[in-house]
Amino acid sequence: MDYTFWTIAPIVLLPFFAFVINAFIVKKFTKTAVAISTGSIFVSFLFALRIFFDFMNVYSVGYHIHKVFSWFNLTTGSQVFDVKMGIYIDNMTSVMLLMVTGAATLIHVFSTWYMHDDPRFGRFFVYMSLFTSAMLGLVLSDNLLSVFIFWELMGFCSYSLIGFYYEKEGAGNASMKAFMTTRVGDVFFLLGILAIWSVVGNVTFVDIYNAIAAGKFAGLTISIFSIGVPVATLAAFSIFMGTMGKSAQVPLQVWLPDAMWGPTPCSALIHAATMVAAGVYLSLRMYPLMELGNLTTFISYVGAITAFGAATIALIQTDIKAVLAYSTISQLGYMVIGIGVGSYNASFMHLITHAVFKACLFLSAGSVIHSIHCQEMPQMGGLRKKLPYTFFAMLLCCFAIAGVPFFSGFVSKDRILGDALVMAFNNPVYIPVALLGFGGALLTAFYMFRMLFLTFFGEPRDHHIYDHAHQEHIGWNSNVPLLILSLFTLGLFYSGSFTGQGEVNLFGSRNEWFSTLIHKPDAESLHHFAEYKSEDFGLLDTREKENLPKAEYDVNHGMTEEVAHHVHYIHHVGAILSIVIAFAGIFLAYSMYIKKSISPDWWAESFVGWRKALQNKYYFDDLYIGKIIQKGLIPFNNFLAWFDMGIYDKYGVDGWAAVNRFAFNVSRWFDNTVIDSGMVDGTGWSVRAMNTVLRWVQSGKIQLYFIVLIVVLAGYVWKLSF
Amino acid sequence: MAQLLFLDQGKKDMINLGSYLGISFALFICGILVMIARKNIIAILLGIELILNASALNFAAYTKFTNGNIDGHIMSLFIIVTAAAEAAVGLGIVIRFFQLRESIHIDDAATLQN
Amino acid sequence: MFTNTLFLLSAALTLGGAVAVVYSQNLMHACIYLLASFFGVAGLYACIGADFLAATQLVVYAGGVVILMLFAIMLTGGTGNNINRYGLEKIAAMGNKKTYFFAGFTAIITSLILLKIIANILRVETSAVLTPNLPTVERIGTVLATDHILAFEISSVMLLGALIGAAVISRPRKERHD
Repeated sequence: MDYTFWTIAPIVLLPFFAFVINAFIVKKFTKTAVAISTGSIFVSFLFALRIFFDFMNVYSVGYHIHKVFSWFNLTTGSQVFDVKMGIYIDNMTSVMLLMVTGAATLIHVFSTWYMHDDPRFGRFFVYMSLFTSAMLGLVLSDNLLSVFIFWELMGFCSYSLIGFYYEKEGAGNASMKAFMTTRVGDVFFLLGILAIWSVVGNVTFVDIYNAIAAGKFAGLTISIFSIGVPVATLAAFSIFMGTMGKSAQVPLQVWLPDAMWGPTPCSALIHAATMVAAGVYLSLRMYPLMELGNLTTFISYVGAITAFGAATIALIQTDIKAVLAYSTISQLGYMVIGIGVGSYNASFMHLITHAVFKACLFLSAGSVIHSIHCQEMPQMGGLRKKLPYTFFAMLLCCFAIAGVPFFSGFVSKDRILGDALVMAFNNPVYIPVALLGFGGALLTAFYMFRMLFLTFFGEPRDHHIYDHAHQEHIGWNSNVPLLILSLFTLGLFYSGSFTGQGEVNLFGSRNEWFSTLIHKPDAESLHHFAEYKSEDFGLLDTREKENLPKAEYDVNHGMTEEVAHHVHYIHHVGAILSIVIAFAGIFLAYSMYIKKSISPDWWAESFVGWRKALQNKYYFDDLYIGKIIQKGLIPFNNFLAWFDMGIYDKYGVDGWAAVNRFAFNVSRWFDNTVIDSGMVDGTGWSVRAMNTVLRWVQSGKIQLYFIVLIVVLAGYVWKLSF
Repeated sequence: MAQLLFLDQGKKDMINLGSYLGISFALFICGILVMIARKNIIAILLGIELILNASALNFAAYTKFTNGNIDGHIMSLFIIVTAAAEAAVGLGIVIRFFQLRESIHIDDAATLQN
Repeated sequence: MFTNTLFLLSAALTLGGAVAVVYSQNLMHACIYLLASFFGVAGLYACIGADFLAATQLVVYAGGVVILMLFAIMLTGGTGNNINRYGLEKIAAMGNKKTYFFAGFTAIITSLILLKIIANILRVETSAVLTPNLPTVERIGTVLATDHILAFEISSVMLLGALIGAAVISRPRKERHD
């Protein structure tokens, strides 16, 4: 397949042009705008599908497309300053493109049903188009600078979508909160880019990998408060801070639960395909730097705390979307654990599987909310008879997220947890990570099925709401997107074997495409990137793909047989443990909410302090608003205000006023005697005299002007030529 | 001046740069006379057309008698295009002005504001 | 010989037309004289081998601009009474002694300056070898579509703008009744 401008650029440009066109026509032609928006993302999905199959039908690890063009070139002499932009597609990008466009297409289709009676129906699609195109641009970017540009664009879009119902005060505050919180991470991200630029002289991924392989970062330190910090650590930490902001890791997780103020389909887009995925994607791309900066332990701890903490908060939420929001934070924590413990492949796999089932969960929640106009789970119940298709989709997704075997969530999460367990066996530092990870998995199974049981099972708790809900019928834009997404929660799409690690092979190792094709750019494989050449944008592609022979589907991932055996043994333990944990969580939820053999109230009464902490989301909001903003920023503001009022206004402004008053009295006398009688009247007379002349000149008679023009011109030429 | 009045035909070819510049000069002066002497807006537009023709003729003549490349013709062409556009807009303004004031006397258009 | 004859005729037509435009007291006649002058200029173009320019001059000026002027004259002078609602003469005078005095004064100044400028050219022998008169249409087309493509496109946009602008400006609007 040839990769030219016309086969790659439409993926980004179609949704972007849809945004531009819709921005103008949306008021008058709402239906057309919606059709353009949905159609453009569908067409870019087709383009992404084409690229995906081109990359996947041949097993080739090193196959990549890297096309660049010069954005601006200020090179003078030996001072090279050539900023290049471009696209970089490898196996990971092609999978990511397919996921983003596919999920976004289904979310767009669902939105045409969900939002159709909203007064700002069209405007929603304008933002959605821009959001999707920004994410696609980020995925296609070959350097950190353009990643940052699209990153900020997404920040803006999430701001406008979260604050979509801006009449509600909460929505406005939530959008502000999301924008400001992610901004904290963005500043660090920018710092990280600058740090990398100062060392590498370029921010292309490939050049960064090459610089790391060539040891350019070795021994470089920077002094912060007279403590020498390696530049690699600083850059890695700064970029990981960007991930923490965007992917809602502790302590910057506070914005994501509030993001549910936006319309539900936009939550699906933010939580699944675009916004939070971008952060993890960035960390995955920058994995060699994280490794070089010795940041992996820190990252895995951040991920573990996030995964477990968010899961505990989700236990007591009653709002259906809040449960999903906290489960998103928790699952993102698992991805970050995966980055931290070096489980690159599984982390990326979890990103994809999570995007699919979380999009489906949010769309299902949207379907429920749209049917009963209520988000509180205690008022639902028994809805499975009224909403059979939504129930089916949500059931599959809950199986997937809880980690039931044969579903996608099991494959990816089990691999992350297995790798965490391996790390824990090798290094006791990682024992808390593994424990928190497995604990979080138990809680995940519990709270997801708690949500499912409260919503769809049992007797209707609020008959008024129940009776008002319409019986669900199949509709192409209401529940077909859910069913399509729920189909892809099955594990066989992602892995050929039971656990995704090659053991218990069910569908043949050929179907182990995911773990074969996505390769960790670790220290050993980085030197490959020196051979990665970029091409000019206009050129046709000249690379040959080499098909990996079957013997090289390396299930051991480069480990020796003995180590691999050990690792596999631990993985088996991990797999059995996670299956047990998943079913334990589901059974716990079953006995609490269906059989009612364990009373939830007993738990609530026994752990009052915990419950209070959970209800307050571990006081993070209180800390930020109460301590940092109110104790820190507002007193500082007050001090400034006091300085303004007390010092500057009182002495500066008022004192100046007194001086002015005196000067005014002096000048009034001068005014009356000298100016008025002498000069003003004199001016009037002189003006009148001038008037007589000027009135003749400025007559508005064009021919007079023309004569004057010619005479002046003549004089000028005369002066010049004689 | 002798060349201008075509009195020196015997000496050389009468189609030369001087004669063309003379004609264009005469056209230009006529245009200026029309522009200033007339009080009718349309007549002033006629004068402008004369001046534009003079300049276009100059360009074509210089092309022919100096280097022979085609750029002067291009410039004349653009002058003709501009003149056409100018005539269209100018006459549109005249007609609109006539609708408003029922006059095409130039001094009736002397009001700069209001 | 033919070229010389053509040149003399064209020059006479051009200058005569221009002078007649100056001295004619009837606007309609002045316009027709202008047409004659344009024909003369087209002939002058033909004498120096500018065939495409000559054709354009005929088509655009004689066919377009002068017709437009005639239409404007007819549109602005169509009614019987020559006094408008302000009591002014509707069709303006073609000038009087005073305006001709000023015009002559300006023209003399201008002509002195211009003669001063072109005197050098008239004095210098134009001994350059003249290129033969080749057809220019192809060359103009090539240059227009390559070197001068930007100017060409801009002028096309300008013509479109002028067309729409003229239509919008001269469109009769509803009078506000207040």
